[in-house]
Amino acid sequence: MSIHKKFFVGAFLLFIYGIGLLNVLASDRAFSERENRPLAQMPEWTLSNFYSGKLTARLDTYMSDQFLWKDGWVKLKAMSEWASLKQENNGVFFGKDGFLIEPFEKPGVQFDKNMEYMKRFAANANGIQSYVLLAPTSIALYEDKLPLFAQTSSERDAFETAKEVLASEMEVIDVYDALKSQSNEHIYFKTDHHWTMRGAYLAYKESAEILGIKPYKEDDFNIETVAENFYGTLHSKTNTIGVEPDKIDVYLPKFETSHTVTYEDGRKSESLYEWDYLNKKDKYSLFLDGNHALVKIETGVRNGRKLAVVKDSYAHAFIPFLTNHFEEIHVLDLRYYHSDFLMYLNEQNISEVLFLYNVANFAKDPNVIWLSQSK
Amino acid sequence: MVFSSLLFLFFFLPTTLLLYFCGSRKMKNSILLIVSLIFYAWGEPIYIFLMIFSAITDYFHGLFIQKHRLTAPIKAKVGLLSSIIINLSLLSFFKYADFLIENINNLFNMNINALDLPLPIGLSFYTFQTMSYAIDVYRGHVKAQRNPLTLALYVCLFPQLIAGPIVRYEIIEHELKNRRVTLNQFSEGVKIFLIGLGKKVLLANNIGFLWSEIQQQSPAELSVLSAWMGIAAFGLQLYFDFSGYSDMSIGLGKMFGFNFPQNFNYPFVSRNVSEFWRRWHMTLGAWFRDYVYIPLGGSRKGKYRLYLNLFIVWGLTGLWHGAAWNFVAWGLYFGVLIAIEKAGLLVFLEKMHPIFQHIYAFVIVMISWVLFVFEDLSMSLTYLKIMFGFSGQVLVNERFMYDAYTNAILFLLAFLGSVPIWKVLRNKMTRRHKVIDEILIPVCCLLILVLSTAYLADDSYNPFLYFRF
Repeated sequence: MSIHKKFFVGAFLLFIYGIGLLNVLASDRAFSERENRPLAQMPEWTLSNFYSGKLTARLDTYMSDQFLWKDGWVKLKAMSEWASLKQENNGVFFGKDGFLIEPFEKPGVQFDKNMEYMKRFAANANGIQSYVLLAPTSIALYEDKLPLFAQTSSERDAFETAKEVLASEMEVIDVYDALKSQSNEHIYFKTDHHWTMRGAYLAYKESAEILGIKPYKEDDFNIETVAENFYGTLHSKTNTIGVEPDKIDVYLPKFETSHTVTYEDGRKSESLYEWDYLNKKDKYSLFLDGNHALVKIETGVRNGRKLAVVKDSYAHAFIPFLTNHFEEIHVLDLRYYHSDFLMYLNEQNISEVLFLYNVANFAKDPNVIWLSQSK
Repeated sequence: MVFSSLLFLFFFLPTTLLLYFCGSRKMKNSILLIVSLIFYAWGEPIYIFLMIFSAITDYFHGLFIQKHRLTAPIKAKVGLLSSIIINLSLLSFFKYADFLIENINNLFNMNINALDLPLPIGLSFYTFQTMSYAIDVYRGHVKAQRNPLTLALYVCLFPQLIAGPIVRYEIIEHELKNRRVTLNQFSEGVKIFLIGLGKKVLLANNIGFLWSEIQQQSPAELSVLSAWMGIAAFGLQLYFDFSGYSDMSIGLGKMFGFNFPQNFNYPFVSRNVSEFWRRWHMTLGAWFRDYVYIPLGGSRKGKYRLYLNLFIVWGLTGLWHGAAWNFVAWGLYFGVLIAIEKAGLLVFLEKMHPIFQHIYAFVIVMISWVLFVFEDLSMSLTYLKIMFGFSGQVLVNERFMYDAYTNAILFLLAFLGSVPIWKVLRNKMTRRHKVIDEILIPVCCLLILVLSTAYLADDSYNPFLYFRF
């Protein structure tokens, strides 16, 4: 029997037995840093699970979640895609100059609904001043960085529509031009779907007039680079190779400040930043400890102004600037906060509300409906 | 369970091989039967009883038919009819009942509720296999199997259970009782299995993704060339999905000592429709030829009967692919073209330049995919109108350009994968056969294994088209 056949069959068997065995021996992981999500665990082997088909379905997910060297396989696939001239992976484009860019999807009915919920809320909320800041995502500023012939719907157009619809009931803050004019600066992450704190600062400066505050100058802050090896969510989605990591800058006031941050579970902190995240994958969560249903910030400012911010994660890099202008800021995330919002405002004696979302998220977030919980 | 999954590759297959090759000769069939049942039960815990029922009825029918076929032909005939009726009833109930109900509702303006039963996986394949068994016993082509476990193994054998090829009993009758696996055969099996795996995971899934993207564009945005690229992508997806599965099946069969028939023979090199169908899903074509077309009289009963027979066979072939009118239309479309080719078009075509013949076959097959892919015939018409420029769409747009250059390499690989590239290479390099056979092909196969693992581990788009058949 010829030696090459033995070698071929041997290599095949070694591969399937080797990986199969190592998979059985390797201990399961609870959490994937790269994907930032908990991983499926071994399902329960019960007969009822088996008959309903749940057991096998869960075993499939378990297998795929816990597969040995998963991150390495994912990278190998990304390399092969890259070699075959693919310009995107999981819906994210490999843009020029190291930009990973999510195209803007043409908004559907959810967008219209969300505008309607917000408008209705503002109309019904007597004695409460509503502001709305719909932030651009990087696609609106860096369309020229898209790969050749790559297609996207216009995010700016969607914003203009929202502006028109919402303007009758609330103050609309438009930060597009302010950001666009500085787009050569590091105002958006190249590997993450958020803006940087510099981007948030520009938006803060631009919104000051409408919010009725006097913004601090950039000179009033120490700008500290706290991380230089940040690979964000867009990088996790694409897993592409040859992309430089981002750095994270934080604007720390040179002037005296004080904060008490209270999270919904009662935990308190003196800082707006949770520096532990710098050692993790999900570094953007250093701003206000990432996603929470309700965060209450009491500041050293004594002007009686209380603001509620209804938001997505774009607000996290933005709120630190506001803490220098309001006595209290209540941060609510409708993905997790499902109680009567208007009642909360009345109870807490809050008379100003800022809605802060990025346009792409606002256009498809199914949770804005919780605003209409208010009776 | 499907072959193209991590679970199959790294647990089911290694365990099965281990049990099979450690088991004694007597145990091998039982081992294969048990793992086959587990394999099937993986996705369909309940329907496994249906399959076992099918195996048991066919076992008894086979014995009954055999007992009476010489002495009491009427009884044998009743036995055969009973077997066919049971098999067709199973198929009709699970696959066609809702289609029938829908049509009755439409025709008579009634409101019968649909059953909404999920289709048992592989039903269309194993009922066809068991019918061929009963018919062949009746015809005296094969002896009825006396060992119920052996017959159950024939019905449930996991490599060919889910998506073909349709293996007739006579083909593996001998191997069911007596088979040996040589290293030669095992290595051939691994090779064919890996080629099939690559076809499915690397080509079908990726090119199918392109089709799903193009399909999502509204007809108004679609450019003419996008429409062509989209339907070509779908055709290639279908081919690589299905032939890849057949290859994996044949390869696995060889690893366990079975030789299943070839199911695809490079259909895209065909020069006309008749040839295409001699190369596409060959075991299904042969089934309809031997068990429907020829018994109906084939071409021996005059022109009128020939066309009627073609009409029946192709209508049924279409319907076999799915319970919807578009599949019937798809089958009849081929039936009509084959009739026209038989009536004289073939003679005419063969005088033309080969390139022209290929273009003819290409366009005909592309149109057929449009019928195949849209369940709604009016959607097919809209799409065809775009392809042939009757809806005033632009020829190219930026979206097409983007799809074209980002998928160029994939299309190139798909092209190479659908023509007999190794044969051509071997003919070109007559002195280097050894290099190709002993180094190039094995290395490519192992590379496919590693890459396929990577694509499966990053579980993205992995549909399986033939689950609905």
